[in-house]
Amino acid sequence: MLRTDCILSVLVLVLVAVVGIHAPGCARQSTSEVVIYTSVDEVFARPICEQFQRQTGIQVRLVPDTEETKSTGLVNRLIAEKGRPQADVFWSGDPVRAAILKRNGVSAPYRSAEADKLPAGFSDPDGHWTGFSARARVLIYNTTRVPAGQEPKSVMDLLDPRFQGQVCIANPLFGTTSMHAAALFESLGDAGARKFFEGLIANGGKILSSNGEVRRRVANGEYAVGLTDSDDFNVARLEGKPVGGVFPDQEGMGVVLVPNCALLVANGPNAENGKRFVDFLLQAGTEAALARSGAAQIPLRTDVPLPEGFPFPPIDKLKAMPVDYARLATRLEELSRGFLKEWVDRNGR
Amino acid sequence: MISCWWLERPGGWRALGVGAVLTLAALPAVPLFLEVVLAGGRLSLGSAFGTALGSSFLVAILTGLLAFGLGLPAGVLSALYEFPGRALLLPLAVLPALVPSFLWAIGWASLSARIGPAVTDFISGQAGCVLVFLAGAVPLVLIASYVATIGLGGSQIDAARLAGGDRAVLRYASGAAAVPAVLAAALSAILTLSDPGPGQILGVRTAASEVLTSFSALYDFPLAGRQCAVLGMLVLLLAAPLAWLAAPRLSVQLMARQTGSPRRPGLRRAGIGITAGFAFLAAGTVLMPGLGLVLPLLRGTDFVQALGVVRRTGADTLLYAGGAGAVATGLGLLLALFAGRDNRLRSLCLGTCLAILALPPALGSLGIVHLAARAPAWADPLLRSRATVCFVLGLRFLPVAAVLAMRAWQSMPISWVQAAELHGVPLARYVTKVVIPFLRPTAAAALALVALLATADVGTVLLLHPPGKTSFSLAIFTVMANAPESLVASLCLAYLAWAGGLLALARAWPRRPAR
Repeated sequence: MLRTDCILSVLVLVLVAVVGIHAPGCARQSTSEVVIYTSVDEVFARPICEQFQRQTGIQVRLVPDTEETKSTGLVNRLIAEKGRPQADVFWSGDPVRAAILKRNGVSAPYRSAEADKLPAGFSDPDGHWTGFSARARVLIYNTTRVPAGQEPKSVMDLLDPRFQGQVCIANPLFGTTSMHAAALFESLGDAGARKFFEGLIANGGKILSSNGEVRRRVANGEYAVGLTDSDDFNVARLEGKPVGGVFPDQEGMGVVLVPNCALLVANGPNAENGKRFVDFLLQAGTEAALARSGAAQIPLRTDVPLPEGFPFPPIDKLKAMPVDYARLATRLEELSRGFLKEWVDRNGR
Repeated sequence: MISCWWLERPGGWRALGVGAVLTLAALPAVPLFLEVVLAGGRLSLGSAFGTALGSSFLVAILTGLLAFGLGLPAGVLSALYEFPGRALLLPLAVLPALVPSFLWAIGWASLSARIGPAVTDFISGQAGCVLVFLAGAVPLVLIASYVATIGLGGSQIDAARLAGGDRAVLRYASGAAAVPAVLAAALSAILTLSDPGPGQILGVRTAASEVLTSFSALYDFPLAGRQCAVLGMLVLLLAAPLAWLAAPRLSVQLMARQTGSPRRPGLRRAGIGITAGFAFLAAGTVLMPGLGLVLPLLRGTDFVQALGVVRRTGADTLLYAGGAGAVATGLGLLLALFAGRDNRLRSLCLGTCLAILALPPALGSLGIVHLAARAPAWADPLLRSRATVCFVLGLRFLPVAAVLAMRAWQSMPISWVQAAELHGVPLARYVTKVVIPFLRPTAAAALALVALLATADVGTVLLLHPPGKTSFSLAIFTVMANAPESLVASLCLAYLAWAGGLLALARAWPRRPAR
């Protein structure tokens, strides 16, 4: 009995101590803090938030999410909290989720003065979300499996028999792959996009759980080629993995760019601080910091200097796929309930 | 003076009490279920849900059967005998229960990716899912069997040994441990139904991942709610016979005054076989996936940043774990008190608990988020605080505590209360001098077990934690996608070290003197 008594006592003491130390457990809202929800990977988002905190003295309470498809993420939480939100700002890793939040009445319009120098095509015309630093959808290939000169140049190369059984993509119901799928439907038309997806399976293509998984399995040589995000490619590159990256369709429909988006939450508890955070995100300094980070995000401003050894070309040297980001959200919703769901059901495990 | 016979008195209050606790446990899911009902109209569950459900149940059944097959003999043998390496192998075999399933899935995926496609094909899919879930399921069955076996009196074991040698001892102990082991295996199997992580990582379409798709890709709460309802009802149907069978046999009745622990004789030849079996178990559940987790450390470490994450999340992780344990244990004991020795009520409790356990955590969590958004600000300490996380996690893992508590309650000999009644012992004195000391070990075990399960939870904490108050598991979960391998591996190693430290602490704890 002595042993269990001791264990129980220690557990209770630990609990009491912890509760005692952190007694006011509920989310306190004050004028000196701002609550940020983000779907950007924490490892990249946290340093930016800490920089804001240092500069302004406003304490940032960060709630990160992940693009890996293993949780019911923050977008659901934001929609569910709409009646009385806890968040002030949603820093989205892509514009589609920002557009979904706008449609659900979660966002408030806010036109930051900092947004004037950002290209308007990456932002919501009504000012509900503003795009900045972008990732791109890239073809990642394993350099030990793809000989020099044989690199893929277009997403259509994923259907090429030379890559038969060696191609993978992430589940197109989730994350940036879902946005890419919707963009392909916009660009190629329904028939063309369906032909692409069916052709991918006919060529032995595999659906993996996430872009991170695509990166890992191409880097390890299980697959020769995959479709993923530029930050995933850069992480593999920095780790010294035998990978190459290609911005696809530079002579055709163009590459899909995925800008970050800053969205002010309607009726957030610290609206003024939220606006200051949005202003901070949209500054040139933030674009430069994200370019320097492991994510190697591409600044949307052409006057932000790229760091030495930056692995990607500047934005004005890229041929981007012309897409209406706001429209993609509607398109994606329709596809997720229709073709894409049916395609994943049929071809996933 | 209130009579202590009150504890055994039948009546409507028992059913009312059971109903109240079970309603409370199901409460977080009510807002979304209401939304389903109000949405009305369509009854579709999605075209692939049936297949996914089949796949989920297959994985769950295989996990339960294998966990029972491996965990029962491991628990009984380790409780009854000394064998070479027992001191190291037993904690190693239990270690996976302390670690979130997604870490083992990542470990296996990482290891297989390094070995090659042939291994990947074997490890991915349903086989891989079963392998990952087994890592958590086997220790639960092992612990349940171990505790049930050491709960037998020393002289009961000696009597069995005298009557028929070690074969009789094994038969007797296995029989006594079988029901708790079956329940632990069933709980583990049902837990797999609500966990989408391994299925998503290893490429298996499961019911939990379909629910996740409905929530996260389609933003269709009513569809997700319908899918959860069907999953819960199916589990209830399947669990009903198990609950009906297990409820009367939930405990082992102790013989009067047989409270000495069984001796643990050493084994020589047979001991080597047992050691080999344990080594195989530890290799399959801990060493191989653990190797996959920490191999990236060979290319570099990031312990400083990992330590920063531990510092940032440590206190809240402990709070969530301890709070959930306290809530689940308190309610579990209350449920045991209300159910008492009534087999019908115990069956109802078991069946409902198993169904609750099958519901994906997002259902209850989003229900609470909905509720909090509609409630006034003064309700925030109740609905939007760390206490909320503790409360919802505690309700989620209530079934685990409830099973342990009901077992302990039923093990309490009725003759004790009869004797106390005969001598006119007041209820308060009986409770403080007899009931609480008797239930304390179970309460400690339930608290510890729920705390461990809560530590590994990601889904509930992600949706409910107050801004800035995250847990260590969630922190790993949110960085693992794109963080450098060295950081992820350092974090995983920190988690393994924490879990190993806990086991070492439990092992080093002063033992009660042998009687």
